[in-house]
Amino acid sequence: MDSSRRSIFAGLSNAVAGLVGITEATAAPPPTPPPGPRWAMVVDAAKCIGCQACTVSCIMENAVPEDSFRTIVSTYEVREAGGGVGMAMLPRLCNHCADAPCIPVCPVGATYQRPDGIVVVNADACVGCAYCVQACPYDARFINHTTQKADKCTFCAHRVDAGLLPACVETCVGGARIFGDLNDPASSVSRILAETPAKVLKPEMHTAPHVFYLGLDDLFLGRVEAEPTLWQPQHGQPQHGAEVRS
Amino acid sequence: MSPVIEVINVTREAAWLPWAVQYFFLIALSVGCFLLSLPGLLGTNPTWLRIARVALVGALVCGIAAPVALLADLHQPGRFWRFYAHPNLNSWMAWGAFFIPGYLLGLFLYAWAALRPALAEGAGRGVLLRGLWRLVAFPRLRLPTGALLRLAAFVTLGFALLVLLYTGMEVMVVRARPLWNTPFLPVQFALTGLVGATGLALVLERMLTGHQPAAASLMTRLLVVLVLATGLVGAAWLAAGLIPWNATHAAALQSVVGHEAWRLTAIWAGLAAAATIGLAMVPRAGWLAGLLALHACWMFRWTVFIGGQAVPKTGAGLYATHLPMGHDGLLGILGTGGLCLFLAIAITALLPWNQASAAPAARPAGDALPGRA
Amino acid sequence: MTDRRDILKAGAAAAGLGAFALGYEETARKVVEGVAESLRPRPANAAPNIHGASLPPEFRVDPATGEVAPAEGQKVSYTLCLGCTTLCGVRVRVESETGRVLRVAGNPYSPLSADPVLPQEASVRESFAALSRFEEKGLAGRATACGRGSAVLTQMDSPFRVTQPLKRVGPRGAGKWEPIPFAQLIREIAEGGNLFGEGAVTGLKALRDMAPIDPANPEYGPKVNQVALLSSVNDGREAFARRVMQGAFGTINFVGHGGYCGGSYRSGSGAAFGDFRQMPHAKPDMANIEFVIFCGTAPANAGNPFKRQGWQLAAGRSGGGRLNYVVVDPVLGHSDAQAARDHGRWIPIRPASDAALALGMTRWMIEQDRWNAAYLALPSEKAARAAGEPSFTNATHLVITEPGHPREGFLLRASDLGLPYTGDRHGPRDGALVISAANGQFAVAEAMEGPARLLVDQRVTLGNRAIRVCSAAELLRQEAFSRELAGWSELCGVPAETIAGLAREFTAHGRKAAVSSHGGTMAGNGFVNAFSLVTLNALIGNLHWKGGTFQGGGGFADDGAGPRYDLANFEGKQTPRGLALGRNNLPYERSAEFRRKREAGQNPYPAQKPWYWNAPQLATEWLGSALDGYPYPLKALFLWNTNPIYGIPGLRAQVDAALRDPRRLPLIVAIDPFINETTAYADYIVPDSLLYESWGWAAPWAGVPQRASTARWPVVEPRLAKTETGEPIGMESFFLGLAEACQWPGFGARAIKDKDGALHPLQRAEDWYLRGGANIAFAGQRPVPDATDDDMALTGLDRVRPVLEATLKPEEWRKVAQVLTRGGRTQPLAQAYEGEKFAGRPIRMLHLYNETLGTSRSAVTGALFRGTPHWLPPAFADGTPMRAVHGEAEWPLLLVSQKSVLHNSYSIGADRLRGIRPSNPVAIHPEDAARLGISSGDRIRIATPGGAAEGTAILRRGVARGVMAVEHGFGHRELGARRHEIGGVLQAEKKGLGAGLNLNDLGIPDPTRQGFSVWLDPIAGSAVRQGLPARVTRLA
Ligand SMILES: Nc1nc2c(c(=O)[nH]1)N[C@H]1C(S)=C(S)[C@@H](COP(=O)(O)OP(=O)(O)OC[C@H]3O[C@@H](n4cnc5c(=O)[nH]c(N)nc54)[C@H](O)[C@@H]3O)O[C@H]1N2
Ligand SMILES: Nc1nc2c(c(=O)[nH]1)N[C@H]1C(S)=C(S)[C@@H](COP(=O)(O)OP(=O)(O)OC[C@H]3O[C@@H](n4cnc5c(=O)[nH]c(N)nc54)[C@H](O)[C@@H]3O)O[C@H]1N2
Ligand code: SF4
Ligand code: SF4
Ligand code: SF4
Ligand code: SF4
Ligand code: SF4
Ligand SMILES: [Mo]
Repeated sequence: MDSSRRSIFAGLSNAVAGLVGITEATAAPPPTPPPGPRWAMVVDAAKCIGCQACTVSCIMENAVPEDSFRTIVSTYEVREAGGGVGMAMLPRLCNHCADAPCIPVCPVGATYQRPDGIVVVNADACVGCAYCVQACPYDARFINHTTQKADKCTFCAHRVDAGLLPACVETCVGGARIFGDLNDPASSVSRILAETPAKVLKPEMHTAPHVFYLGLDDLFLGRVEAEPTLWQPQHGQPQHGAEVRS
Repeated sequence: MSPVIEVINVTREAAWLPWAVQYFFLIALSVGCFLLSLPGLLGTNPTWLRIARVALVGALVCGIAAPVALLADLHQPGRFWRFYAHPNLNSWMAWGAFFIPGYLLGLFLYAWAALRPALAEGAGRGVLLRGLWRLVAFPRLRLPTGALLRLAAFVTLGFALLVLLYTGMEVMVVRARPLWNTPFLPVQFALTGLVGATGLALVLERMLTGHQPAAASLMTRLLVVLVLATGLVGAAWLAAGLIPWNATHAAALQSVVGHEAWRLTAIWAGLAAAATIGLAMVPRAGWLAGLLALHACWMFRWTVFIGGQAVPKTGAGLYATHLPMGHDGLLGILGTGGLCLFLAIAITALLPWNQASAAPAARPAGDALPGRA
Repeated sequence: MTDRRDILKAGAAAAGLGAFALGYEETARKVVEGVAESLRPRPANAAPNIHGASLPPEFRVDPATGEVAPAEGQKVSYTLCLGCTTLCGVRVRVESETGRVLRVAGNPYSPLSADPVLPQEASVRESFAALSRFEEKGLAGRATACGRGSAVLTQMDSPFRVTQPLKRVGPRGAGKWEPIPFAQLIREIAEGGNLFGEGAVTGLKALRDMAPIDPANPEYGPKVNQVALLSSVNDGREAFARRVMQGAFGTINFVGHGGYCGGSYRSGSGAAFGDFRQMPHAKPDMANIEFVIFCGTAPANAGNPFKRQGWQLAAGRSGGGRLNYVVVDPVLGHSDAQAARDHGRWIPIRPASDAALALGMTRWMIEQDRWNAAYLALPSEKAARAAGEPSFTNATHLVITEPGHPREGFLLRASDLGLPYTGDRHGPRDGALVISAANGQFAVAEAMEGPARLLVDQRVTLGNRAIRVCSAAELLRQEAFSRELAGWSELCGVPAETIAGLAREFTAHGRKAAVSSHGGTMAGNGFVNAFSLVTLNALIGNLHWKGGTFQGGGGFADDGAGPRYDLANFEGKQTPRGLALGRNNLPYERSAEFRRKREAGQNPYPAQKPWYWNAPQLATEWLGSALDGYPYPLKALFLWNTNPIYGIPGLRAQVDAALRDPRRLPLIVAIDPFINETTAYADYIVPDSLLYESWGWAAPWAGVPQRASTARWPVVEPRLAKTETGEPIGMESFFLGLAEACQWPGFGARAIKDKDGALHPLQRAEDWYLRGGANIAFAGQRPVPDATDDDMALTGLDRVRPVLEATLKPEEWRKVAQVLTRGGRTQPLAQAYEGEKFAGRPIRMLHLYNETLGTSRSAVTGALFRGTPHWLPPAFADGTPMRAVHGEAEWPLLLVSQKSVLHNSYSIGADRLRGIRPSNPVAIHPEDAARLGISSGDRIRIATPGGAAEGTAILRRGVARGVMAVEHGFGHRELGARRHEIGGVLQAEKKGLGAGLNLNDLGIPDPTRQGFSVWLDPIAGSAVRQGLPARVTRLA
């Protein structure tokens, strides 16, 4: 890759730079024709107010069925080092990994990565074996109750292809979700990543995620050790508020 | 109390349903039974032959039911043909799609070869059945039955090992689940499969032929060895998680340790192993040990698949799992049970299973089928 | 034998096969479907199906050129969201063919949804490009809807929606209804009669009676006051309802939810602003401020304007943002972010103790001389102007503090010292006195051009008596110094060092610091808490400084005597008079009751029920007052867009039985799209338009610097039954029908006067709202430009264009269309500031001492209130501290309420919100929980002196010890939680709508009062939802 590309990542932590290296290796051909876009998201944790506007708009935009989520903002209460207590918000979605473990496992090639980096499922080919669901280290996939096929965040490819922004990005109240083209050095995501150290979730999985987090505590990079949520699926909800917990 | 509290988060449902447990259970039983049948059908020991006959029934019943359950675990079962039309050969599952029919075809051939003499003899009850058997035996086909049996056994053995390999690998390669992502897993699948198969053979032997001390004691001894081996591998897995030898194993252990449900599971497993061994020592209780062994084989898979999927990849605690009552759960399990029962009755009623004959060790080539003038 | 076995076997085999068939039925179905699908022909080169059921994009924008290509089959309309009282401008995607709303996001023209906003002149087409990837405009000018705003569209198709007029069948509240025709609805309500077979009910026609309610108590006013309308917030339609109920009908009783929303805060702020009628309040200028203390408001959980302050908080605390803040709250909420720890922090506080924190800070500020003494010394508008200050205070004004003196509590006025004055003695023009800093002489404050002495405590001779006078600042100082910092700390549970630290930080940013509060003050001492907190802002003089606090820019008036139409006045318009049901518009001392008792030689105190002379609109007192008949009973009650039974702590338990009794309140008419906890008691339910189906003109209630109006127009056809004339049945058509049937003035063919004096009809909703729109479009120096055909086509305004053209004048309609297509009108932000100050705000006097308050008395005890911020423990109406009645030994915990991030009070029916937040586990500190043997997820029973409820516990370190936190919005009994029978058909059953618990079911009555009561702040009359005494047990 050319030097301008490299300089974009100059400021990144080793882990991220390393991961991006993998991207470059897999996106091999020499850059004679200007590369097409490589979509990515930067999530600024300090800007997230946990309003779940993203979660709901994704549901509405993408007809995500009940009890399923393409994105959710995990919200934690944390006892901090100094004894204080604080909140941590963590918007989660598909990372559109450059080295996506969900792709090779798909027995019928229904899951694949577009040249612009978006990992998608061809619903006409998916046999619903859910192997990809198992293989994603981020719990980003699920079997859609309605379609009985694998489902996940598509970076709202249908909107992006129409020149628009993903639903969760356009309605992000805190402005925490920033979406754009990593191959364009002038894009917001490129500029932010050049200036600010970012993290990715589960770097040890070497999946080369393309959702980057600013200001995220290491506590939350992997599986979060915590008192679990009391959330219960809706279809298991008894009628009069007598919620149960197993 | 953990320093972190999840205030808002959601549960991910298990994507591999109890169907998957059933498939992995049945296919392992089938392969295990097939393996158990080999000494008897390829060798000369009458006790082993006795075992082989029931094992063959087990292999057939489970082998036929297994892919049916597998199909049901696909959320788009009508698209199964895509496995063959558009295979992605990077995926173990895609390979599995070829191994299963390979194994089954081999198994059918193997069973046919073993039963052919009896079929040709037409020893069945009733004119109709007798005629049918004769037909199925293809008496006109001049075949070296012994060699055929050996060949079929060899081919099937190959596919059986591939099935064991792929079922293990398919799960093992899932790096996203530390509990699965261990080289111990294929071994454990194989061993518990053999445990289950031995158990099944014990039970079938008791049900189909009545108790025969020699066969039973052979099988119970085998069972004890297998259970011990399984325990050893389990201990090795635990050790691997405890000593900082490998991050995945540590993560795997970490993900379950401290959860009440998993503590119970561990205790359960230990008790079940001990009880199996204990019962195996008791004369005439072999079939009970067999039942326990079957249960162990099931529980292992249930724990791996259902329990494993209850471990969140990013979230905290365990996802609540409950067995749904409908197709995705209990009803489905009953359905598969029903299928197995039907198959068992049909196969034992329609086939001369208890006359399956071993490959004649040194018969001259081109031996004629019995009953053929 | 063998046969038997064979049969058995065959049976077993058949059973097995049967089980197989059952278990695999679904699989078989899927196989068939899958095969069929596989066989379906597909175009060979079709794009892979990767988008599933995602919506087709509403338009396409060429990322290179910004060219917009609208999509077939969808319109994008800018209108208003009523997902909560923030009333944001949103953009609504409508499927043209079905008229279905597909999705909702933000309006880029609306300052409640976007920052910066697009200029009013930008074309709709440009606005679409501005939302796109083109030049990353969509990132820079993001226009958002919150989670609730994105989800509530599903309510439009709710199975629980009322779409036709309903009349109750059987007893009140029984949940049985019959649909009736519109004509019958109007006839019965207008004429009355034996409507329910329970005896005669007086109709509205007869109730419009201007004779006195009670000649013995003439201050009660005319009988029309016995008809009342309870509403909630001005959702853009209130002016219409007021025209009917107040202008035409003439009742004084028309209130919103102020008394149980943030009444104590508004009242405390009103005290500081010296205006108990409008109750002004200021918000921090989040875009420019450096330090904010959020004390009793949760900027990222709720607050108003919810989204706007959320993104301002986010921007200020991230990247290069320069906002630092603390959230002082018994409960840790979403306003905190670990990732922004360098910018913000949570400080737990004991509920109902904010005044202690504020007075502690005040003490430190005075002690350390860190208050803005130079500013506070300015005694007058003149002096302020001279000093370049946009406000001043009465800190230097002198107050008569001689105990027992007849003028105790009043300001020392010119006439008192024999100085010249105009107007009445002790009247408003009898100038308040200060002591000039220059010469030490008494001087009339108003005339001063320079500073006055700040701390004054001396005697003056009045008549022949030397009496003590103190400056307002001195009175505040005395209050603040009445306890050591440690003493204040002990009361509020915030460490003394933290109080000092807060005060230091608060005074370290010049004017760029603020305290902000709201719902957290809804405690049994909420008024003094609010007054004390707001006074901190006065002490640093931050009002109307850029980066300080400011009053919102307000809206463009639609309903006034505007530039095009006079919507305010009409022939026959009534001026409501008399005593409001909440007894908050007249001091008790001016009542006949008082006079009678005094004349009879009795102690006039206590009044039969408290009076709240310094209070906002008091819906809190309404139902109890009406049902007790004090001051007078009601004959008819309209409930429009309101739910006091759900929203007022303790009310349901008090009035449930009485409300069911038609003899106590003969007619209840609800106008509501749903059956809520209150409208369930109605005799009639009139359906109403919902969300994007209505007309209206709303304005931000605060927090937006520039003038802005949000347009509300029916972007979809209302899903409502129609009147005989084809109008959708809703609030407007109902009132129009009633006005016509009763022949009330102000309606009909000649009702609205235009600027040239010509009369125009008011016979349908559009007659009103479109003319209001004309007033908005033409407001200011220049009207807005005309809308283009393209604007109208893209936004779907085409659909209503004919009615615009038919209703408005040729020169008007395209301008109104311009405002409608933009979803409102917004003044350019630049016009809101003038250098370092806010533009166009009059110089205000803030009150460290509020004379009105300091000279009014509790109608219960007769004691004077105190005019300065001071400490009071949470107390009942007669001043008895709550803890004196409900001791800690019995009720060791305090309950507090906070808004849900996701829900509001009526969003429970929005399934997708429930999918994320299905219930409201009650938060308790792990130490308290450990003592009670409670773990997370346990079922618990919470009891208060007012009731008990069951819930689920969640252990959180983010609640103060001794506190239990209940998220609002759950525990519904209606809105779908109960199934009503309508026309013999039972409503749908939907699980989960009753999930969780409502803190208000645990609200407590006032044990010091007679009759129906709920616990109210003794000064502001506001509902108490913070700091309810409680105990909790684990359920087995
Ligand atoms: N998401 C959402 N947003 C909303 C609404 C909604 O329903 N949902 N409603 C809108 C409406 S109508 C309004 S009025 C505003 C209200 O917005 P806010 O006034 O900000 O909200 P509240 O939840 O009433 O109270 C604010 C905080 O006060 C805290 N508190 C309780 N007791 C005390 C106390 O004694 N002292 C202090 N310092 N804090 C205390 C509560 O824990 C809570 O966090 O929000 C508006 N926005
Ligand atoms: N415990 C506790 N109690 C609280 C609060 C709290 O935080 N905690 N918050 C308080 C606050 S801040 C407030 S503002 C009050 C709110 O209390 P209220 O002002 O009484 O209003 P809501 O409960 O919001 O109910 C309004 C009703 O209007 C109806 N509605 C919705 N849309 C429309 C429409 O378009 N037209 C008509 N006609 N009706 C419509 C719905 O049926 C809904 O039930 O509650 C207060 N009560
Ligand atoms: S569920 Fe669909 S996409 Fe996922 S692995 Fe199976 S076939 Fe591929
Ligand atoms: S996050 Fe998961 S689903 Fe998304 S690309 Fe990576 S592995 Fe695949
Ligand atoms: S990019 Fe689209 S699909 Fe992905 S989380 Fe956001 S809204 Fe959902
Ligand atoms: S919309 Fe933005 S601010 Fe709100 S929860 Fe989602 S990421 Fe956070
Ligand atoms: S803040 Fe309230 S009005 Fe604004 S979008 Fe959200 S729900 Fe709608
Ligand atoms: Mo409110």
